[in-house]
Amino acid sequence: MSEKWRLLDTGLNDAFYNMALDEAIVIARSKNLVPNTIRFFRWSPSAVSIGYFQSMEEEVDIKACDEMGIDYIRRRTGGGAVYHDTEGELTYSIIVDENHRLISRDFQETYRTLCSGLVLGLRQLGVPAEFKPINDIVARGKKISGNAQTRGMSIVHQHGTILRKVDPALMFKVLKVPSEKIRDKLIRSVEERVTSINDVLGRDVSFRELKDALIKGFEDSFGIKLMPGSITDFEEDLAQRLKVEKYASRKWNFRR
Amino acid sequence: MLGRAAYKVKGGKLIKVQLTSEGKKIKNIKITGDFFLHPEEVIDDIEQTLEGRLLDEQELSRLIRAVLTSKKAVSLGVRPEDFARCIMMAGEKNE
Repeated sequence: MSEKWRLLDTGLNDAFYNMALDEAIVIARSKNLVPNTIRFFRWSPSAVSIGYFQSMEEEVDIKACDEMGIDYIRRRTGGGAVYHDTEGELTYSIIVDENHRLISRDFQETYRTLCSGLVLGLRQLGVPAEFKPINDIVARGKKISGNAQTRGMSIVHQHGTILRKVDPALMFKVLKVPSEKIRDKLIRSVEERVTSINDVLGRDVSFRELKDALIKGFEDSFGIKLMPGSITDFEEDLAQRLKVEKYASRKWNFRR
Repeated sequence: MLGRAAYKVKGGKLIKVQLTSEGKKIKNIKITGDFFLHPEEVIDDIEQTLEGRLLDEQELSRLIRAVLTSKKAVSLGVRPEDFARCIMMAGEKNE
């Protein structure tokens, strides 16, 4: 009997609910109300998330986002700014007890272990994925996934993005560029450094196919069985509260 | 006067510092970037510790390291000396 974890697929939600639900699951896990969990989710409307330590004004073109109806939010994890396109990317979260056998005291080691589930899943699809320290997954030398981790309440929380298709020009419409002069250069540099599943495989990979491959990757790599489940009332209520009180608040999003 | 600097750690992350200083002393400081620091709230402790301190690279590095030790905090992609380097760069631009 392999160890059972909960699998959640929460579909399309706005940025504020998405980040609030992640924290709600962490809190529920810390109170032992729910099992270790892997969650898939997407962002509607598309959104930009910034790392815990980043400055919203410095990283995000707020005016452009407002005009395009794109949300912007601060994450509870460090790392860089990410554009979460509704159709272009899949996001996942792993919420696991800190004392679990997969978790090392060393953050770098834990990134490698948790990312190995994604690497294996991507390889199942035919993407030659490799973990690249500190927190990236690359294919043919180009970034295809970025990941971020935090700990607290004796829980490890890692979330990250997997690019299905990528549009560097749109990325730099929502992210601040140091000057208009170098916008084209930055776009070209992203084209050289970033790739996507559709680019690598030369075909349109559906979210269903991607998720199925990642599920298999996580199960085989972690030695677990993912049991499709749903969020508890505790998590839903807490997520709604965290959304209003924290993640949708100006105080949180513009704190740095 | 306001000083700003950005410093990309080789093989690591980006640090940005914004500070005001009086003479050689840091008055206010804000450290941002795409690095990792656990627990995250320790960034506030670091900033508070640095306010009123001299712009001395070795001393800043020592102070930041001491905060990390006392808070049992770890950084990833940046080291205390990298923060210190970026703070000095911002301080020098301030003169």
